[in-house]
Amino acid sequence: MTEKIVVDREFVAPAPVVGAQETYRSVGERVGGVVLTRKLDKRWLLGLAVAFGLLQVFFFSIAWLLAHGTGVWGLNVPVGWGFAIINFVWWVGIGHAGTLISAILLLLQQQWRMAIARFAEAMTLFAVACAGLFPILHTGRPWLAYWLIPYPNTMDMWPNFRSPLLWDIFAISTYATVSLLFWFVGLVPDLATLRDTAKHKWARYFYGILAMGWRGSARHWQRYEVASLLLAGLATPLVVSVHTIVSLDFAVSIVPGWHTTVFPPYFVAGAVYSGFAMVLTLVIPVRKYYKLENIITDRHIQNMAKVMLATGLIVAYGYGMEVFVAWYSGVEFEMYMIENRMGGVYAPFYWALIFCNVLTPQLLWFKKIRTNLVILFVITLVVNVGMWLERFVIVVTSLHRDFLPSSWDVYSGSKWDWSLYIGSFGLFFTLMFIFIRVLPMISIFEVKTLVKSGEETP
Amino acid sequence: MKKPYAVDVEILKNRREFLEVMGATVGFASLAACVKQPEEQIYPYVRAPEYLVPGKPKYFATSLARSGVGRPALVESHDGHPTKIEGNAEHPASLGGTDVWMQAAIYDLYNPDRSQATLRQGAPSTWKRFGEEVLPRFSASLEGSGCAILTGAVTSPTLAAQLDRLKKTHPKLRWYQWESAHLDERFRATQAAYGRALDVVYDFESADVVVAFDADPLFVDAGSLVYARQAARRRRDADGFTRWYVVEPSPTPTGTFADHRFRARRADVGAWVTELAAALGLQEGETRAAVQAMANDLKAAGKKGVVVVGPTQPADVQALAFRINEHLGARGTTFKTIEPVVASPVDHTEELRALVKSIEAGETKTILVLGKNPVFDAPADLDFAAAYDKVPLRVHVGAFVDETAHRSHWHLPARHALESWSDTKTFDGTVSLVQPLLRPLYGGHSAHELIELIAGRAGRREYAIVREHYEAQWGAALESRWRRALHDGFVANTQHAEVTTAPKVVDVKPRAVDGLELTFEIDGTVWDGSYADNPWLQELPKPITKLTWDNAALVSPATAGKLGVETDDVVEIEVEGRKVDAAVFVLPGQAEDSLALSLGNGRRRGSRVGRGVGFDAQRARPSDKAWFTPAKVRSIDRVYTLVTTQDHHRMEGRNLVREATLAAFASDDQFAKRPDAKVAKLSLYPEHPREGEQWGLTVNLNACNGCNACVVACQSENNIPVVGKEQVANGREMHWIRIDSYFEGDETVHNQPVTCMHCENAPCEVVCPANATVHSPSGINEMVYNRCIGTRYCSNNCPYKVRRFNFLLYQDWETPSLEPMRNPDVSVRSRGVMEKCTFCIQRIQAARITARKEDREVRDGEIVTACQGACPAEAISFGDIADPESKVSKAKADARDYVLLHELNAKPRVSYTAKLTNPNPAIDEKVKG
Repeated sequence: MTEKIVVDREFVAPAPVVGAQETYRSVGERVGGVVLTRKLDKRWLLGLAVAFGLLQVFFFSIAWLLAHGTGVWGLNVPVGWGFAIINFVWWVGIGHAGTLISAILLLLQQQWRMAIARFAEAMTLFAVACAGLFPILHTGRPWLAYWLIPYPNTMDMWPNFRSPLLWDIFAISTYATVSLLFWFVGLVPDLATLRDTAKHKWARYFYGILAMGWRGSARHWQRYEVASLLLAGLATPLVVSVHTIVSLDFAVSIVPGWHTTVFPPYFVAGAVYSGFAMVLTLVIPVRKYYKLENIITDRHIQNMAKVMLATGLIVAYGYGMEVFVAWYSGVEFEMYMIENRMGGVYAPFYWALIFCNVLTPQLLWFKKIRTNLVILFVITLVVNVGMWLERFVIVVTSLHRDFLPSSWDVYSGSKWDWSLYIGSFGLFFTLMFIFIRVLPMISIFEVKTLVKSGEETP
Repeated sequence: MKKPYAVDVEILKNRREFLEVMGATVGFASLAACVKQPEEQIYPYVRAPEYLVPGKPKYFATSLARSGVGRPALVESHDGHPTKIEGNAEHPASLGGTDVWMQAAIYDLYNPDRSQATLRQGAPSTWKRFGEEVLPRFSASLEGSGCAILTGAVTSPTLAAQLDRLKKTHPKLRWYQWESAHLDERFRATQAAYGRALDVVYDFESADVVVAFDADPLFVDAGSLVYARQAARRRRDADGFTRWYVVEPSPTPTGTFADHRFRARRADVGAWVTELAAALGLQEGETRAAVQAMANDLKAAGKKGVVVVGPTQPADVQALAFRINEHLGARGTTFKTIEPVVASPVDHTEELRALVKSIEAGETKTILVLGKNPVFDAPADLDFAAAYDKVPLRVHVGAFVDETAHRSHWHLPARHALESWSDTKTFDGTVSLVQPLLRPLYGGHSAHELIELIAGRAGRREYAIVREHYEAQWGAALESRWRRALHDGFVANTQHAEVTTAPKVVDVKPRAVDGLELTFEIDGTVWDGSYADNPWLQELPKPITKLTWDNAALVSPATAGKLGVETDDVVEIEVEGRKVDAAVFVLPGQAEDSLALSLGNGRRRGSRVGRGVGFDAQRARPSDKAWFTPAKVRSIDRVYTLVTTQDHHRMEGRNLVREATLAAFASDDQFAKRPDAKVAKLSLYPEHPREGEQWGLTVNLNACNGCNACVVACQSENNIPVVGKEQVANGREMHWIRIDSYFEGDETVHNQPVTCMHCENAPCEVVCPANATVHSPSGINEMVYNRCIGTRYCSNNCPYKVRRFNFLLYQDWETPSLEPMRNPDVSVRSRGVMEKCTFCIQRIQAARITARKEDREVRDGEIVTACQGACPAEAISFGDIADPESKVSKAKADARDYVLLHELNAKPRVSYTAKLTNPNPAIDEKVKG
């Protein structure tokens, strides 16, 4: 291990990031064991079955959509974007925690990240997979969505480089690629560990192929460090850029309520906010179920809660700025938009959003709440709902009443909107359940660096 | 639906005939075994007919009819199939304008639900059998005894002459007429005032002051096309501006045109007219201040003032208005009475009553209903349906298997006007010829031929019948005059002469309706129900309310409050013990304590389109109170979803429709531009290069009365699909041009037609990721359907929300009969793509190609967009804004020219000429209502 990662004992934060009694062997067994030695348990199978069932809902909703058209959703003119875009932004936002944890915190040498990074990164990938499908499905003719990719073609047509939707294509695809690489590179040493400890022949083949010949030599480690640092460096701007670009889908337009310069930072903060909420939502039960309390410690939980609080405050600032600038601009359409948001037909959504995203996280100022897993779990759910509402409020309340009162209309999601959204959880959790049982959900080798030395490596 | 059978099943009953048919079938089958060719002789274009260029449309003048009165049209035909109806600019009764019913007539021709077969008791039968069973009843030897013919209002000189002849050969045959939208009160009024039934014709171009009482001359009147143009011409510009007062129970297009609009119950309008007469010194009585002001204005205008009273007012009120006009000296200038254009100006209600009586007495044994649907639209108290059932032999001729057809023994499909030879008279009496553009699609039957058949002259063709009628008049000049008349669409100088008689004094009876009144209105889309089978019209947002696919009981907000109902609540309306349910629609501009329900909805039979749409006002309509009646209204615990294309009718203080009084305009002619003075004109992107003509369009808000002709014209020209009520409810209507209506207070209604603005800095173009919406060098915001993948970003970013998205497969790709209806020059869009107004780019290209071939520039006025061409009020100008001499450039140079949402700096190519009003300073705002 290079000096960059080696832990300065003095630097280790007050509360331990790994349980004191953990050893190299125990970490390896505890994490690797979930994959290799644990029996197929019924509760996991049940969870997978539910998720897989939802996945079928997802597939059926897509089939229905492709057979009949976008009209199966609740969209109309003026509200041309609805659930699909809301879900897209929501899922992309959720993905942000993983990248932030693995890239930015790695560069900032925050060891506490190690135990949750793998999990968060996986979550990122699965969230991006969900997110990426929505913009394609939301087009009127999804089978032609590939026209958005700039490639030389016989039509001699290029996409419109001025359109933020095109920037989205680049931003999301880059993000997905870098996240996948980063995640996989990080997995390689652990895959080798699994290969070496697996008893079953097929498991050894499986992990052996994925481990790509990793032998743990110093050269390997050195290259690994360089690669992960480079990828961390690449991923770091992506944390900021992806949601900035996503926010530009709105900010570049002229729709009152969308045309706002505060959107990029506010969207990024919102993304991290929802991402951490989602990581906590997932980690709290998983940690409990697989008895990983010594590896994902209370300190992790607390730190994540603190990040939520901080980003939640930024988001609250964003909400404040939206209102202030609408007033300060003196533009009647902007002022009406805020008035309509707060008092129009969608006002309950707006106030629910304020409750979920601004008031609820204020509880996180208290350590008692940060350490009370039940309350914290509930808060993360509330925040996840709040962040979905935020996107709903931005997308729908801005569009449904814009410039000409003659075009004003209302929008509500149809059953197919809901089924596709709920179905996307099926995709997410199916991938998540498979991940938990097939790959080490915690970075074994990184956590080992946190274990007090003096024991033999296994 | 029933399918027409090629072989008459009845024939096969007889064994010998069966063998004959079989033998013939086998023989033909062996002949036709190799190649399938049509039975008829076909002629390839070895030498093409003169003037026929494949792909180039031809235009034929003809005439359509609305409630019997002619509407002159020019029909565009592509390779033998008519696709579009325009006004006939040379015709004195059209001047090029059209209305929604003319525009939509093309759909009725191709309507897949049209009646297509002879039916006997609902089952397909044959013409031959019809002849055997029915014709003997009309045999001349019986002199027509026991026979009755029911038609609508007849203006056709040929048909009238035929009926006259028939009366001679069949003296006992009775001819009845019935129109639900009848002019009974008008004829009673002229009868009372002038001693005979007369038609009233106005000239609004000569009028300085117009007072309209419960009248809609610009939309519903038989002369609406001409009136709308005349009225608009005097209000387009500040010079020679007229003043319009409108007193009406329910807002109409004419009401939107008014400087002063007063809400009054239909029952109370008589009191207004009486007061006006008193103020003018025609009789004794009190006068309210507003009426005094009107009177003073009228007095000052003298013969250039005119009072218009609608045919829905009682005869005595109308007669008093005639007297006022005579008193003002308006006769000959703004007002005249002419011989009625209908051949027989009878009282339709009395006719129908007489028919029912004769049936009840057992005198009518055979009835032939020609093109009407009295089972649906007869007044409820006559209980026509029950009486009709008692006629031993009932024959119905109609375009649809409607309510009457269902109760008839025989139903014969009728011919569409575009399949027929005939003639009509327009509102001024001008004889207009009807010529077919194609052979009858479903072998429909012509009224002319049927009457000849009944008269005992079988085998006579329409063409011969009509031509013969004119041969009798024109003699040797027939050929040249006939050709001329066919070419022009009318017979020149056949306007009816003015009839001048001194008016008699008719006392106006005071009419107090206690409590609520229910008014019956002619529907702004389905008329009296005769257009209910047309999906274009059903989906067309009705003027002002923007209701589609339903009618509703219109009530004012205050009255709704009193009744404890709101929009979508169903009320039970009780008239003379008859009850009808209707959903309430709360409409500012509606008079207090007055409930308006339009006719023609609630059809129970007919096409798939019309059935079950809206509420049937006829079921409450009394024969003696055809247009308004006291009614009891009770809220019942039921909700019905009404659907509109516009949910919000207030401008919210935004500068959308800009308006100033004439006086304010005189002191500040920049009022329309002033709000935009401070806007910074910054853009991220460079300007688009400009090449050649620069297309632009203006809408004169003063001219527009919101009649919707442009909306249907656009639908027809650009192959715009119909989406149905459920989709409209979802906000997915597809019209490329819409007419926004905004209320100001309870009286004033503004119309604002909105199309794609073709912005120079188009917000839609920047955001489309696929480059599917781009800018042409001549300034058109083009939509490339093939490239569109349907992100709908353009629509979100369009501040005018004029883009329309094919959320589902709205276009009917399956129905073969609709294929020839479509404009072959315009792509038919499919699912998942965005579409919008193109400035009728196909017309631009056609004109450009012609100009290029002739090596010249496109002339100003050579390109007429569909909306512009349809507009009877000439509200729309289109042309090259780079040419300072063009009409559109001059309109844009007007001080009142402004663009919508200027502050967004989208630089729209569509601009509006701000509205001017000419209120009477003597009328305090408070007097209103």
